[in-house]
Formats: sequence, C-alpha cells, structure tokens
Amino acid sequence: MQYPEPIAQLIESYMKLPGIGSKTATRLAFYTISMENDDVTNFAKALIAAKRDLHFCSICGNITEEDPCIICKDQSRDQSTILVVEESKDIMSMEKMKEYHGLYHVLHGVLSPIEGTGPEDINIAALLTRLQQHDNVKEVIVATNASSEGEATAMYLSRLIKPAGIKVTRLAHGLSVGADIDYADEMTLFKAVEGRTEI
Amino acid sequence: MILSELKLHNFRNYEDLSVDFSPGVNVLIGENAQGKTNLLEAVYVLALTRSHRTANDRELIKWQAHEAALTGRVEKQGGSVPLELIFSSKGKKAKVNHLEQARLSQYVGQLNVILFAPEDLYLVKGAPALRRHFMDQEFGQMSNKYLYNSGQFRTILKQRNQYLKQLQFKQQHDRVLLQVLSDQLAAYGAEIIVARAAFLKKLEKWAQTIHETVAQHKEELTFHYVTQVKLDEPSSVEAVYQQLLDLYLNNETKEIEQGSTQYGPQRDDLRFLINQKNVQTYGSQGQQRTTALSVKLAEIDLMREQTGEYPILLLDDVLSELDDARQTHLLTAIQNKVQTFLTTTSLSGIAQQLIQTPTIFNISHGTLTKEEPQ
Repeated sequence: MQYPEPIAQLIESYMKLPGIGSKTATRLAFYTISMENDDVTNFAKALIAAKRDLHFCSICGNITEEDPCIICKDQSRDQSTILVVEESKDIMSMEKMKEYHGLYHVLHGVLSPIEGTGPEDINIAALLTRLQQHDNVKEVIVATNASSEGEATAMYLSRLIKPAGIKVTRLAHGLSVGADIDYADEMTLFKAVEGRTEI
Repeated sequence: MILSELKLHNFRNYEDLSVDFSPGVNVLIGENAQGKTNLLEAVYVLALTRSHRTANDRELIKWQAHEAALTGRVEKQGGSVPLELIFSSKGKKAKVNHLEQARLSQYVGQLNVILFAPEDLYLVKGAPALRRHFMDQEFGQMSNKYLYNSGQFRTILKQRNQYLKQLQFKQQHDRVLLQVLSDQLAAYGAEIIVARAAFLKKLEKWAQTIHETVAQHKEELTFHYVTQVKLDEPSSVEAVYQQLLDLYLNNETKEIEQGSTQYGPQRDDLRFLINQKNVQTYGSQGQQRTTALSVKLAEIDLMREQTGEYPILLLDDVLSELDDARQTHLLTAIQNKVQTFLTTTSLSGIAQQLIQTPTIFNISHGTLTKEEPQ
C-alpha cells in the first residue's frame, strides 16, 4: 500500500532537509497532520517568508532582510577590519562574543576541489572588489574552520590580499579556554605548543 | 603488553565469545573456515579500529546482526586497561577505561599489535605500494604525529589531484589555488619523509642485529629509503619542504598535463640491500624471505623502543610458509618476550618441539575450547 499523495509529498519535502532520512521524515509528516491548523499555517508562512524576505547582503554576503545588512550599514563599526567566515551562522557566533566591532564577509563555503568548489564558486570575488573600493581596510582576519580546506582557503586569500599591502591574519589554534590539558588530544597540544606566545 | 581477555559479540562468525589468554604463546588450531583468522582479526581490530582484511566495517558485523562489540583487557606497565569497540550501521564507538573517546586517534595506540601474514613475505619482492603501506601502518602506531600527518597528507593529495584534473580539463583556471595546495602538500609531505627516514634508521639498526644471527654473520642488511628529494644527515623538515615546493613549482605544467601529483612521499619506496646488493633484484627467494622476517622481527624491538612496551604479535598461518631453520629462528626470537597468537591447522614438527608450554585453543564453528595441558 502507498501513502496518499499529500503525505507522500510532505515526506519527500522533509527528506530534502539535511540530516533527515525517510524514517524521521515520515514521523515529522504524521506529526504535522496532527498539529493545530494555526500552527501548520504559521509554519508554512514562516517557510515562505524566510525564503521571500531574506536575501544575501550585496556587500558582505550575510543573510539579511534589508540590503545592505545592519552590520554593513552601521557606520559606528570599525571600517578598517573585515573578518572572513565560512557561513552566515558563524557571524552569529562572533557577535555573541561582543568584542569584535569590525565588518564581516561570508564566503558561503570553502575551497575544496573534491566537492567541486573552486575560487569562482565561493564569495571571494566580492571580497576583492570590496577591498579595491574601500582602501581604508587595513586588516583581513580569516576565520575559516581549522580543517585542511579551511586552511587552504585562508592561505589562498592571503596570497591574493597580502600583495595589496593589507594585513592578513588567521585565528589562533590551540587549547580551549578553561580546558584541562589532560583532556586535549595530542595534535591540539602540538598546535598549542607551536603557536605559543611570549608573556 | 598483554591482552588477557577478549569478549566478542556478533563479530564475524562469533555470536558470543569470552576467552582468557595466556601471556605466552596462544595457538589457535582448527580446520579451514572455522574462524581462526577471524579471531586474530578481532585482536587486530581491537588494536587499530579497522581490519587488515577489509575496508568495509559492515563486513565485521555478524550476518543479519545490527551491532558488533569487541571488549578486551590490556595489561600494561601502568596497570590494566579495559578497551571497548562497538560497530554499528551508524559507525564505530571506541572506549578506553569505559570512557568514550571523541577521536579514534586517541584510542589507537592503547594496544599495539604486529601482524605477520603470508603476504608479508612479499614485503621485499612485492610492489612499492606494499612497502609504503608497511611504513605508514607501523610508524602510525608508534607516533600520533605521524598518523595525523599522513591522514592530512592523503586528504590534501586527493584535493590536489582533483584540482589538477579540473585544470587539465579547463574546468578551473586559477593557478594560485594549485600553489596553495602544493604548499600544504609539501608541508605534510616533508614531515612524512623526514619521519620515515628517521624511523627507518632505527628499524635498520634492529633488523641488522637480527639478520646477522639468521644469516650466521655472512650477510649485512641495509635499508635505503628511495625518495625524490635529497636527504641530508640529519635531515630537516624545512629543507625537504623547500625541495618539494620547488619540484611542484617547476613542474606545474607537466603535472596539469598528467592530471595527477607526480612528486612526494606517495611515490617513495624502500629498498633492502644485502652486502650492498638489492635483495629485490639480486637476492634469492630464501634471502627475500629471511629479509622480510628480519624486518618484521625488528619491528617488535622498535615498537618497544618507541612505546616502552613489547607489542602483541599475530602470526596468521605463517609457520607453514617457513622452512625449519626460519621457524626455529622466529620462535626462539619471540618466546618469553612477546605475547603471541598463532593460527595453524595443526601443530607439528619443529614448532611443536620448540614452543614451550603453549596454550592451545581448538576452534570449530565459531566456538573455542581450551585444551587442558596433559
């Protein structure tokens, strides 16, 4: 026996989400049917609104309702530093810290030939244009992940940007704050010793 | 280091098995297809979290079961450590002292094993890939840094080869990214080359002593690490990195035409020389086997030098492949020193006379019975 078409379609839609397979999708679909009418309507509206009202900021690539985004529009922020991240959600993590007051740039990915992502496939060209147009930028902080792809992307950016006389920096590797040395794995410790600082 | 007990649940043909091992020589006797090698494989998997027989973990789980579990207790100088490894369709979980480890690399190294299978006798005359695999396998067990570097190297090599192909077919055009990948590859490649050279120097020293006794002082065994870069004495990572980088830079166009990486440790080889002559080309069949045996036995000593403990030795059907003189040498070298597991269809001849107080297990259809000493 097959599922009636509406529920089959709902299952298929849920399965398009990351980390959701057929079992979870079926459970979610049946739960959706048992939900209150209002809740379902709000859910559907939220989905449509998110897609309709959110755009990528034309300057930094962050998701935003208005273009340019609040951060890019905010003149009180330090205009001389740009922090480069892989994903929009990384900006949220940085903002929670409340200590960084410069600008951002979202790459929407990292360089990975295996995944088919080359320099033209991520938001690098926009960053270069940005640096050409605003010569008051003095430092670019590369905050890609500490994976080999994140590292390659950081090195790539530094090769393009450094010749223009702009300082390029990379986040530090090492121990997490408050962590016991006991609990760190050997490679983290190795990186921490390698990147030690004078006090 | 001693594996004192092993429990298996739904591993290969074992549904539930619990067995205590002796610290000396454990002999696993059984007809073909009863599970001798599966048991040896279980010890290997417990040590390294993956099998030497298959790359697919799914095969380790008993037919139609969902989950396989291996537990063992390792007695070391520091005390006794329980190890646990669980395989399921979701992947594998590793526990040391009942605590789950976030990374498998934190687990590997708790139990050190050396496996000696009939294929290892081809170490000398086989393809270079076999000898590179041998180096990566053994040095990775001794050094976490080596394990990490070779893992990173493999990932970046894949990325770089893929990118070279994309450049070859004009899907990508940016040479700067190629240079970045070359830089990363050279950095990890240099670490690997220098570490291999250093480990081989130490292994050579042990192998020489062993080989001298086997060959009754008539032969001198030396190693030669074959690489595209020049290694100074002592070799520095920085110098090798620079050489690799130059090779990549000067051969950019050639590598793009070929669509693959032509330089680096993935092309290196290890050569064995007896009295300065290459054993692979000039050695007799017997010399090739003796050399392989010496190298394998040297590993035991090197592992002790590096980790402070003797590893566990797994001999998979090797005795039948060796003549009496070599069997004698192997068995005298390991007795009263290394905990050994050996599989055989029958214990007879020289082995029976030589092994003092073996603990014998009869294996039949996935069950184990310990033979009581008479």
